[in-house]
Amino acid sequence: MFPLDAPPDTSAYMIAGYAVFFIIAAIYIVSLLVRWRNINQDMTTLETIEKENKLKAEKASKPKKQKTAKKK
Amino acid sequence: MQSKPSALKILDVASVLALAVAIYLALIYAPEEATMGQVQRVFYFHIATAWVGMLGFVAAAVAGIAYLRTQNPKWDIAEVAAVEISAVFFFITIVLGSIWARPIWNTWWTWDPRLTTAAITELIYVAYFMLREGVEDPDRRARFGAVYTLIGSLSVPITFFSIRLFRTIHPVVIGSADPSATGTFAMVPGMQVAFFFALFAFTVIFIDLFWNRIRMGQLAAKVEQLKLNLMH
Amino acid sequence: MAATVHYPTTNASFLKATLAVTWKDLAAEFRSRELFSAMLVFSLLVILIFNFALELDIATRQTVTAGVLWVTFAFAGTLGLNRSMAVEKDRGCLDGLLLAPVDRAAIYFGKVISNLVFMLIVEAIVVPVYSFLYNVNLFNAGLLLVILLGSIGYIAVGTLLASMAIQARTRDVLLPILLFPVVVPVLIAAVKASEGFLTGSDFSTIYSPLSLLIGYDVIFIAIAFMVFDYVVEE
Repeated sequence: MFPLDAPPDTSAYMIAGYAVFFIIAAIYIVSLLVRWRNINQDMTTLETIEKENKLKAEKASKPKKQKTAKKK
Repeated sequence: MQSKPSALKILDVASVLALAVAIYLALIYAPEEATMGQVQRVFYFHIATAWVGMLGFVAAAVAGIAYLRTQNPKWDIAEVAAVEISAVFFFITIVLGSIWARPIWNTWWTWDPRLTTAAITELIYVAYFMLREGVEDPDRRARFGAVYTLIGSLSVPITFFSIRLFRTIHPVVIGSADPSATGTFAMVPGMQVAFFFALFAFTVIFIDLFWNRIRMGQLAAKVEQLKLNLMH
Repeated sequence: MAATVHYPTTNASFLKATLAVTWKDLAAEFRSRELFSAMLVFSLLVILIFNFALELDIATRQTVTAGVLWVTFAFAGTLGLNRSMAVEKDRGCLDGLLLAPVDRAAIYFGKVISNLVFMLIVEAIVVPVYSFLYNVNLFNAGLLLVILLGSIGYIAVGTLLASMAIQARTRDVLLPILLFPVVVPVLIAAVKASEGFLTGSDFSTIYSPLSLLIGYDVIFIAIAFMVFDYVVEE
């Protein structure tokens, strides 16, 4: 019926849309990776502290055994 | 922490590939729409991200109810993962919806039911995280999270219907009465391929992100437990 | 942590416990009147602010009255809820109540009724004042019904969320943030129904929002009643 006009040039908005998608997705993925790394670091730190505590606990119990041995 | 299961590694790769194909289909394969021009291509990802948002929404609701019934922390971890992913993807949906609306209707925001409900859901998610932030006891935090998830997941559908039924503010339409005035357009087969593949690809992406985020939550829970043990 | 405890109660003792909680709140408030005066003054100030913020000429008033009223009620309601639950926590009343051998749900209903009474009293004063200041006749049975139903829904969800909010660090600020997004359907339906009654619309247009309001009230009272245990257990 009516002569078809060319569609309007809205490609700028299309680019903006996809750019937004990638930027937000990238920010989210990066935040996941950073948080994952932090948790891993926390884990290793805590495990080290736990080991040190165990060693200290073992050392603390040793001198008592030597003293009782001497008395006898 | 055990190393990443190989199924998950494969899923990671599959997600990236699926996304790449979806982008190709949306940007190159699908034909240009007659009345709106190139911006219509945003629609494929707008709907697909909304779909992921809804998957997360439902997953969170299920996890919340499951936690209240079983008190098992794994459901709490799943719930947080679901809410987080849904929050990110609904945000993308809203921004893309805004970008799509601007050249079509000459406005950045339309108070249509779907967009408005998505915005309200975002606010509920923000409130959810603020609630959790403010509670120190992990058990109580999980319970409160589950209760609020339940309240929110019931409220949101009711909100959607009440806006649709009772708020008749029409979007601003500048220009002639063409089909794009209501944001509808006829989907030719090329577009349908892009549309449905985008939904499929983003479903894969959702599962991948969800699984990864749950693993992270499990590790975080172990760390928190270890911290509590060592503080004594 | 433990499974929720349900004490064996008869209907009579449940009702007794509920009314006891309600009476405690009402009696305490009757003596001090701090909550009530705060809510009332706040509401009147909000109405005043609306006068300066919006150009409420006679034509606009007709369309905007329902909205202004409900915004006022929503904000004043938050004030009341915060104070009501904070007092429980601060004076250790909540712990005392929890030790008593009553079903937790009775505590919930008791608080809901007392919070509702406070809100209704404030509304009962605000409505005539608005009527007087803006020369709009608000003595409309339908409007009063909507105010009642809307307040019930608001308070039902609000009491549950307030019980959580006061246990968090960010207490006062948290309640409106938690409450407003989930209470949107109440606001939408209440404003629509209020407008309908005020403009004398055909009942067929009012029926829909009114039934949504009733539906919301029923659903959320039921849900809150079921999950309240999880919110207050130690």
